[in-house]
Amino acid sequence: MNGLEVGAVVFTASYPVERADLQRYADASGDRNPIHLDEAAAKAAGLPDVIAHGMYTMGLVSRAVLEWVADAGIDARLADFTARFAKPVVVPEGGTAVEVEGRVRKSEDGSVELAITATSAGERVLAPARATLVSP
Amino acid sequence: MLNASYAGRSLPTTPPVAITAESVTRFSQALGLPDTGAVPPTYLISLTLPAADRLIDDPDFGLDWSRVLHREQRFAYHRDLRAGDEVTCAVTVESIKTVAGNDLLSLRTAVEDGEGVAAEVWTTLFVAAPAQEPGEAA
Repeated sequence: MNGLEVGAVVFTASYPVERADLQRYADASGDRNPIHLDEAAAKAAGLPDVIAHGMYTMGLVSRAVLEWVADAGIDARLADFTARFAKPVVVPEGGTAVEVEGRVRKSEDGSVELAITATSAGERVLAPARATLVSP
Repeated sequence: MLNASYAGRSLPTTPPVAITAESVTRFSQALGLPDTGAVPPTYLISLTLPAADRLIDDPDFGLDWSRVLHREQRFAYHRDLRAGDEVTCAVTVESIKTVAGNDLLSLRTAVEDGEGVAAEVWTTLFVAAPAQEPGEAA
C-alpha cells in the first residue's frame, strides 16, 4: 500500500490488563476456564498466577490494528489474522500491561501484511502475529 | 492420547446461530473496541469453539480439556459479518499429531452465511500428556 515501507514500525500501543478485564472477557467469550479468573486454580495448574486468555491478547492485538487503520485513515479491511501463543500473559493482583508493536512485513498494491509483536513483563507473549489488510 | 482415527473427520454443520447485537456489544466492550455493530476480528472464536463441543465431549475421542493449551489461531475473513447475521459452523479435524506423548490438534471451522463461506477459523490446541501414574512404564 502507498507510503508503507517494509520494516517500518507503524504503530505501538500499551494496554493495561486487570483481572476484572479477564472476567469481562470470560463473560463475553464464554471461556470461563478458572486459570484465567482464579489464582488458586491457576497455581494448582502449575502456573505462576492467573493468566490472560490467549484470545484476549489476540483481541488486544486486533484492537491495535483497528485503531491504527482508523487513525491513519486507511481504507482497508482485515482479510487474514494469525497468532501463535508463545508465553502466557501473567496477571498478578495489581494487574500488568501488554505492549503491542506493528511493523510492515510486506507492502503491495492493494494490500499490506503486518508482523505484530506483543510483550508483557518483558517477555514476548506471541510468536509474531500477522495481519493482512486489503483495499476494497 | 487422542484417538488419531478422528483426523479428517467432519462434525455435522451446526444449526444457524444468530450473531446477536448484545453479544457483539459485550465482546467489543471487553476488548475496548468501538461498538459499531461490526463483528470484532476475534469474535468468531465464541461460535467456533462451542461448535466443537460434540467432539470435545466425545469419550471415544479422548480429549481432556483440563490439559489443553491454545497454541495457534488463524482467521481468514472473506466477507464482513455484522450483528444480526445468522451463520452456521462446520468443524473439521484437520490433523492430530503426537510428539512425545503430547498431542497437537488442529481444527478448521467454516463459518457460512446465506451466501456461502464468510470466514474460516483454524484453531490449534496443545494437549499435554497425562502425568504418569507411579509405576507406569514410560
